[in-house]
Amino acid sequence: MIKLRQIIELLAAHEVEIVIVGGVAMTLHGSAYMTFDLDVCYARPNENLRRLAAALSPHSPRPRDLPEALPFVWDASTLRNGMNFTLSTDLGDVDLLGEVKGVGSYNEAREASVIMQLYGYECRVFTLDALIASKRAAGRPKDLLVLPELEALREMS
Amino acid sequence: MQDRSSAERLLNPPPDSALARARDFGVDLTLIAARLKLTPEARLDDLQRLIDDLEAAHAPNARATSARRPSADDND
Repeated sequence: MIKLRQIIELLAAHEVEIVIVGGVAMTLHGSAYMTFDLDVCYARPNENLRRLAAALSPHSPRPRDLPEALPFVWDASTLRNGMNFTLSTDLGDVDLLGEVKGVGSYNEAREASVIMQLYGYECRVFTLDALIASKRAAGRPKDLLVLPELEALREMS
Repeated sequence: MQDRSSAERLLNPPPDSALARARDFGVDLTLIAARLKLTPEARLDDLQRLIDDLEAAHAPNARATSARRPSADDND
């Protein structure tokens, strides 16, 4: 199961440029939605890829859909050669998104974020507007089901 | 954090508001009210506690399921 505090502290301590998106961002805004993984949109410059690779490396990151028999190398080159990664780690499941549907890549995600204080770090978190846009764009039933709550939270903010 | 007018809006959402639509959709506005009283970090800690509780609740079930799984001897 996910260890949210440890992963967030880990990424922040390594100064990885990310924006928290998805269910955890919803929780941070006050949603009662329950999620079991951490979704982040990450910046793609090489230095950030190196920091991200180094941060997760001790925690056995591996694509969740990759058969165990197949080898997997986790480093900045792997990140460079891919875009979105759904990883299992020994701290829980982490989804790394180079792009978020309905919003864009890291620069757009950063523009569509607010800073929240979490465990002593300033963390970027999707705004409610960005969450709503991304859920609408994703368009799956599970995404559409959370829209009424997100819109209610936006009205409250 | 919530002020009194926010709490009042949650308890009695104006007609045609997003809050009223969410309530009619089935969203429990009292849960939103409870979470909005917390800091973001406290909301995350709450989520972690729920996840941990769920894991703890599932662990004995997993063992029980495993214990009930038929073995080759059961076919005798």
